[in-house]
Amino acid sequence: MSKVIEISPTTRHEGHSKLVLKVDDQGIIERGDWLSITPVRGIERLAVGKTYEQVPKIASRVCGICPIAHTLAAVEAMEASMGVYIPDDAYLLRIVLQCANRAHSIALHNILSLPDMYIPGTDVKINPFTPEEPVRSVAKRIQRIREIAQTIGEISGGECIHPSNPRIGGLYTNVSPRAKSKMFDLAKEGLALARDQMEFMIAVFRNYQKRDWSEVGGMQVEIPATLGYHNQGYMATDPVYGTSSLDENPRWDPARFNETRPWDWYMGEMEITDDYPNYPIGGTTPKGAKAWPQMEACSGVPLYDGQPVEVGPRARLAQFRGYDEKGTIGQQIARQMEYTDSFYKIIECLDALNTSASVLADEIPQGDGSLGWAANEAPRGSDVHLARVKDGRVQYFSMLVPTTWNFPTCSRALTGAPWQLAEVVMRGYDPCVSCATHMIVVDEKNQLVAEKLIQ
Amino acid sequence: MVQDNFLGNYTSCVAARSTNRGILAGSQDGGIATGLLAFALEQGIIDGAIVSMVDPSEPWKPMPFVATSPEELYFARGTRYSLSPNLALIKEATRSYGLDKVGIVGTPCQMQGLRKGQLYPIGLRDVPDKIALAVGIFCMENFPYQSIIQLVEDHGNTKLENVVKMDIGKGKFWIYTERGAVVQLPLKITHKYEQPGCHVCLDYVSNLADVSTGSVGTPDGWSTVFVRSKKGNDVWAKAMAAGCFETKPIEEVKPGLDLVTKLATEKITKNRKSLEERAKFGIGKGLRNPYI
Repeated sequence: MSKVIEISPTTRHEGHSKLVLKVDDQGIIERGDWLSITPVRGIERLAVGKTYEQVPKIASRVCGICPIAHTLAAVEAMEASMGVYIPDDAYLLRIVLQCANRAHSIALHNILSLPDMYIPGTDVKINPFTPEEPVRSVAKRIQRIREIAQTIGEISGGECIHPSNPRIGGLYTNVSPRAKSKMFDLAKEGLALARDQMEFMIAVFRNYQKRDWSEVGGMQVEIPATLGYHNQGYMATDPVYGTSSLDENPRWDPARFNETRPWDWYMGEMEITDDYPNYPIGGTTPKGAKAWPQMEACSGVPLYDGQPVEVGPRARLAQFRGYDEKGTIGQQIARQMEYTDSFYKIIECLDALNTSASVLADEIPQGDGSLGWAANEAPRGSDVHLARVKDGRVQYFSMLVPTTWNFPTCSRALTGAPWQLAEVVMRGYDPCVSCATHMIVVDEKNQLVAEKLIQ
Repeated sequence: MVQDNFLGNYTSCVAARSTNRGILAGSQDGGIATGLLAFALEQGIIDGAIVSMVDPSEPWKPMPFVATSPEELYFARGTRYSLSPNLALIKEATRSYGLDKVGIVGTPCQMQGLRKGQLYPIGLRDVPDKIALAVGIFCMENFPYQSIIQLVEDHGNTKLENVVKMDIGKGKFWIYTERGAVVQLPLKITHKYEQPGCHVCLDYVSNLADVSTGSVGTPDGWSTVFVRSKKGNDVWAKAMAAGCFETKPIEEVKPGLDLVTKLATEKITKNRKSLEERAKFGIGKGLRNPYI
């Protein structure tokens, strides 16, 4: 006889989501649904009729964790629709901005995922806020990496949260030689710290992998060797930056993409049949309450080749570097492996950057209404924006953000894990939920269906 | 610390001028702003300064720019009696210019804006702690660029391109031209060309700056200097120790602090009156007092 348990809200990630879990008598998940319950932002509708300069700024506001990815993806989607080619130096600065955001985001996620882990060789869970060593020096290192990455983002992008410098056709301003050397020095400092941090985090995750059990809310739970395994594919468009429809060989194909309704994907209405008041942060939802994932989910279910796919650091490494470790720990380790890459890339781009060159395209056509798309490899995965611009106005705009892709994939990955570790699996995806709430749903013929779930 | 209703709080007040002849040659008066910023730049107290330079495309039109070397600072010497939105660059200086310690020169209203920005850094993330030195200048009122064209070309009958220096002093607006001609306009003429916003300003000597300076109160070629804050005192003491300025006690020079107080009192009293008038302007729809 299976039980239904609900963890709502899930904690230690951005946004508002919940887990509805069907578990067997041993507490192992038979079917899990992880769904976004953040209210729909409506950015796509706001964008229609606005000028192409406004839309990336609006798109950025969907969330403050990866506004850089959204700005860059939206800017490039407009450029792709209008056929704008940007100067090389603008491209280099955009990569610097992208990598700074990625390094910062990994460091931030370290703080969120560390409390699930143990100090190697002990049965003590890590509290990143404790003043005691060795955790304190790790926390300081994390904050310094964040500070470095945000400062680099600030210089190259004008602002690290909602960058002001990127614009259609390149950037508003190039940086001064002094700013370039400041970023270079910071990246060099960040690189050494990131290497240490990467090694520390990998040691901590490997230690968790070797453990037999973990303690959650007073319960001792066995950690399965296949924690977080799934058989879905990976989708990544670039090891670092992204791709767009302007590329000679675009690495993403809108024809292979389809979106389905949560109604067709998630579980139907059911009653919560078990509760655990001692589960961390307020316990699970009390018995007797109702859950209806089909109706409550605030995101579409995007499919690539008819299947949900995983996006994110592991997808990038699997696609471009031959990385093949499955499961939650494999995913976490892949994320740490991107730490040093981000700083190496910043250094490489700064070396190539010419601070006296123009960073704005000579010619900016106003658009003829053709569809353009750009995929940006945000810290959490491919962030694809699609746009149509005609005579300077945006006619159509859509955002396919990383966590939207990961929702159904992670739901599959929950199967076989003890329910107490469902959040550990979920956190492996570094979820960023607020941008993942969309309600533009199309049917088989790609027609917009009545958006009945919104009401 | 002296506390004065019209001159603000200051730790010391002296008459000073730069000992660097190069700076003095192109400066408005004693070369205090340029000299102090150049010293701070050389000593690493600031990485760069936001000053105003002349727009290369239009004569005597000021535009803000970020100077990161003493040579660039020398470009900015002298006064342009027109609006230069220096604060517009305050954020950019810490961004694409990559400055960590910013110096800034500004009028009293710009010093107020700067301090308000430091107190409530809305849209100025990571900027407040990077303000290293704020040099304020004395200001009675300012003119829009169109007014300067009108005054120089129509009232002064001189081509603006030909002007080498403008000055307000001894109750007159002075225009010095390249060809050697000197035009004086009585201030009565200039009043109607002033920026109306200046008529509600209750600050004459940049009360909120670290160091404020201006020509009033000292003989030609000298400047009156108020050292106001701890930071200002520190920089000023270092600059004095390095021999950047020669000074005289303000009591020993003519016309002295009395004239500064007189003009400050005049400006503030007059502007308080216009604030009262604005409050009563129209019927039941007074204009806003920006100070409350």
